[in-house]
Amino acid sequence: MDSKTDNVCEEQVYNALFKANSKTIFNYIYYKFGNEEKAYDAVQEAFIKLWENCAKVTPHKAKAYVSTIANNLYLNVIKAEKVRLKYADKSLAISNESPEYILEEKQFHEKLEKALADLPENQRTTFLLNRIDGKKYAEIAEMENVSVKAIEKRMHLALKTLREKIEGI
Amino acid sequence: MQENYLAKWLNNELTKEELEVFKNTDEYASYKKIADASSKLQAPNFDIDKALNDSIANRPTSKDVKVIRLNPFKKLLRIAAVVLVLVTGSYFYYNSLDETLKTDLAENKSLVLPDASTVFLNADSKLSYNKNNWDENRKISLNGEAYFKVAKGKKFTVETSEGLVTVLGTQFNVENRKGFFEVTCYEGLVSVTHKNKTIKLPGGNSFLVINNEIIATEAPNTSAPSWITNESTFKSIPMLYVIQEFERQYNITVDTKNIDTNILYTGTFTNKNIELALKSICLPNQIKFKLEKNKVLLYAENAP
Repeated sequence: MDSKTDNVCEEQVYNALFKANSKTIFNYIYYKFGNEEKAYDAVQEAFIKLWENCAKVTPHKAKAYVSTIANNLYLNVIKAEKVRLKYADKSLAISNESPEYILEEKQFHEKLEKALADLPENQRTTFLLNRIDGKKYAEIAEMENVSVKAIEKRMHLALKTLREKIEGI
Repeated sequence: MQENYLAKWLNNELTKEELEVFKNTDEYASYKKIADASSKLQAPNFDIDKALNDSIANRPTSKDVKVIRLNPFKKLLRIAAVVLVLVTGSYFYYNSLDETLKTDLAENKSLVLPDASTVFLNADSKLSYNKNNWDENRKISLNGEAYFKVAKGKKFTVETSEGLVTVLGTQFNVENRKGFFEVTCYEGLVSVTHKNKTIKLPGGNSFLVINNEIIATEAPNTSAPSWITNESTFKSIPMLYVIQEFERQYNITVDTKNIDTNILYTGTFTNKNIELALKSICLPNQIKFKLEKNKVLLYAENAP
């Protein structure tokens, strides 16, 4: 995809870019604002812009391009809602663990969810992109248009704040 | 411990020693638990294929709208361009047309030209000129008789079927009728070109051509042609042309009987009173006249 002869205006290149990045953009906007509908619209808007400007954007710049557009779309426009995340650990549902343990886990999850919702938007976005989507710091830095060091700082602060909130320090 | 060590730890960037130290801290268990739990979270469902189809479906409409928006404007621009061409074209066309002044029988008119030169047009005459480049090219086409008072300036030319009359600033009369061409200069100098021959005509001189024959005439002793003061004056002019002038001045038909129209006539008739004019023409030549409604019969004394 990084080949210079590739053109975003080519249907195949565009579709590949869409499949590779749309989910990330969707999650990115969702982590920021906690609104699924707005996140979906942001994906549509950003990729339509990419199509309209396909001649000007090279494939390896496309990801940063769509995330910038998606981000700018709601900049200072909408209020962040509470981010709701499902717990994907299936082992919990079918485990043989004691009821106390299950209850404890449930309480922990609730605390974690609340702590995440209370994080500053840029820390939450960075943290979840790394933890859920497995994005490297460099990738997040590219999407947020900041340095890798700034992302590391956000990660560090996010983890620190989460522990303090959950443990009630 | 290095800066942002929690981020480094999640990214497996801590050195062995640092990791050992970190693992022995009280908080490690909590951090480990948060890190593990958060990685098991899930974002809301997102259907990539559906989103891609939506994205492709959204595409053409946005392109179509742009095309439709542009079209009416382009069409309008085309119409505007055509209208502009037509308007400017007709403007220049009408501007380039010559101005025309025409008199009917028994009618005189005067005209002031753009440079304040004056033209008096005698009966049944026509002149045309182009007022557009008048200052550059003072040129008048004449058919009939006119008296010119020319303002000083560039060459002033009167074009007739019989020849060219050119002056610089003067007063002169040009008469160009069928078989009759006369130029009379009252003041200044007039140049007459007739049949490729140029004649200089100083003030007080006339140039007369009747039936292609140049005829020597005496100088007029007036300062302007007599028709300006509503009289027609002739000096040794064949009766035929006198009668024709009479017809023009009174808008009437003249029949002759037993009369030699080649006899020369010297005299003046008024252009205001037909009875008096007829007497002026007839008495000296012993001709009798009979005036009817739109007709005059001239006949010799001994004829009925």
